[in-house]
This record gives sequence, C-alpha cells and structure tokens, in this order.
Amino acid sequence: MMDIEELLKLLKEELLKVLGESYGDFKTETKEDIEAFLTLSKVKLERWTNLLASGALTVDDYEWLLVSQKDLLVLNALYQAGVSKLRLGHLKNKIIKTIVNTVITVVI
Amino acid sequence: MKFLNSFQNKLKLNRKSFLKSGLLTILIITLAACNSLKTAVFDQYSYQQAISIKIESLNLMDKAIEPYTNFEEEAEQLLLDLQKMVEYEKNKPDNEVSYAMWNVMANKDKNLLAGFFKRWKDKSQLSSIFIGEAKIQVAEALDLIVKYEAQKNKTNENNILGFLSNN
Repeated sequence: MMDIEELLKLLKEELLKVLGESYGDFKTETKEDIEAFLTLSKVKLERWTNLLASGALTVDDYEWLLVSQKDLLVLNALYQAGVSKLRLGHLKNKIIKTIVNTVITVVI
Repeated sequence: MKFLNSFQNKLKLNRKSFLKSGLLTILIITLAACNSLKTAVFDQYSYQQAISIKIESLNLMDKAIEPYTNFEEEAEQLLLDLQKMVEYEKNKPDNEVSYAMWNVMANKDKNLLAGFFKRWKDKSQLSSIFIGEAKIQVAEALDLIVKYEAQKNKTNENNILGFLSNN
C-alpha cells in the first residue's frame, strides 16, 4: 500500500521545484495553488494512486482523472469567487505532468 | 473689507463644488462597483436543463464499457444539447460565471463531460473502474452548476423578502 502522506510531500517538493523555475515571481501564489490542489484532491489522489498501483487504472486513465480534477477545481473557483477572481490560471499541464512523472517513478 | 468678503464667498463656493465633485465621484464608483457585482436572475429552464443533462450524461457514461459506435447517436445528441445550453447561457445578461462553467463542460479538450465522450470515441471502450471515477468527476461538476443556479434563486428570494420587510 502506498504511503499517501509521503507521496503528497514528495509531490509538493517536486511541484515547487519545477514551478519555482518558471514562476519564480509568483512563489507565494504558486505555493498556495499547489496546497489547495493537493488538499482538495487528497482523497481522490490516494484512491487513484492505489488503483494505478494495482493495475486497475492505466497511466492514461490516471492522467485523465488528474486533469479532470484540475478542471473541477477551476469550476469550483468559478463557483466560489466568480470568473474574474479565478486564481488557478497557472495550474497548467506542467503540474499534471510532474504529478504523473513523480507517481510513476515512485509507484511503478 | 469688500475684497475679504468676496474672497470668503469664493472659498465657500470652491468648497461646495469640491464637496459636490467628491460625492459625485463616490457615487460613480459605487454604481460601477454595483454594476460589476450584478448577476443574472434565477432561470427555471437553466436549472431543469442542468439536472436533465446530469441524469442523461451519467446514464450514458455507464454505457462506455461497450463500443462508442453502439451509442454514437445518443452521445452526439447529448453533445448537441450541451452546445445549445452554452449558447443559451451566453446570451443572458450578467451571466459570465454560468456561461464559463457550461463552457468548461462542453469543451472537448477539458476532462469533464465533453472530454469524456471524446475519450470514449477515441478509445472505443473504457474500463468500468475508469468510468466510475470519471462519473464522480462529471457529477460533481454538474452539481456545482445546479447549485450555482439555485443560489441565484436564493438571492432573488432574499431581495423579495428584504423589499417586503422594508415596505
């Protein structure tokens, strides 16, 4: 069984490292976005990671679901704050790619 | 003395006009702020359509364990209904949030409703475990749209109650 706390810690470190290179000027916002994404997604991330590890989900399935979670968070942000206050703008494919790569390295 | 009186009068007039323009500025800013906070009113049709699309979508998603070609007609019809909804929401005044939400649902490059059907079409069949997880995502997304529309109803209700208690 995957240690989800350990995985989340690793993901946070990896994302901060990768995004720190591209979004150095937005360090605080980036950190907050990563925290929000990982906190709200924790339960699903844990379930999907276990399904991936057991072979019930393919890497493609896993990546699709992670992107869907990001899109859902965008909808949530729209719902909460209205379109002008959307703050998840820079949570782009780079985050998803890093999560997938980190998880694949750890799990498979 | 005469000069002093006229200077004092001028000063009073300047203060008055300064005060007037200050108040006018505050009024304009307040009106602009109120305008930007305007939201479309509750729409029974939008609310019913959102619920109907949710039920139909979740039922059709269950069929994705079978080849897409078997359900192509139903899927195309659902995507058409989705596009109609986007167009409907687009033309309502002060409705940017609902329009943006429906746009995400109808965008085939986003991984929610239209994105699911695109994936089904591309892969022909999907695993039941993946379908189950994707359904949770789509249901949550459509619930947000339904909830947001219902919230507009609440705002209207509060406005009416406020009006009644003040009159």
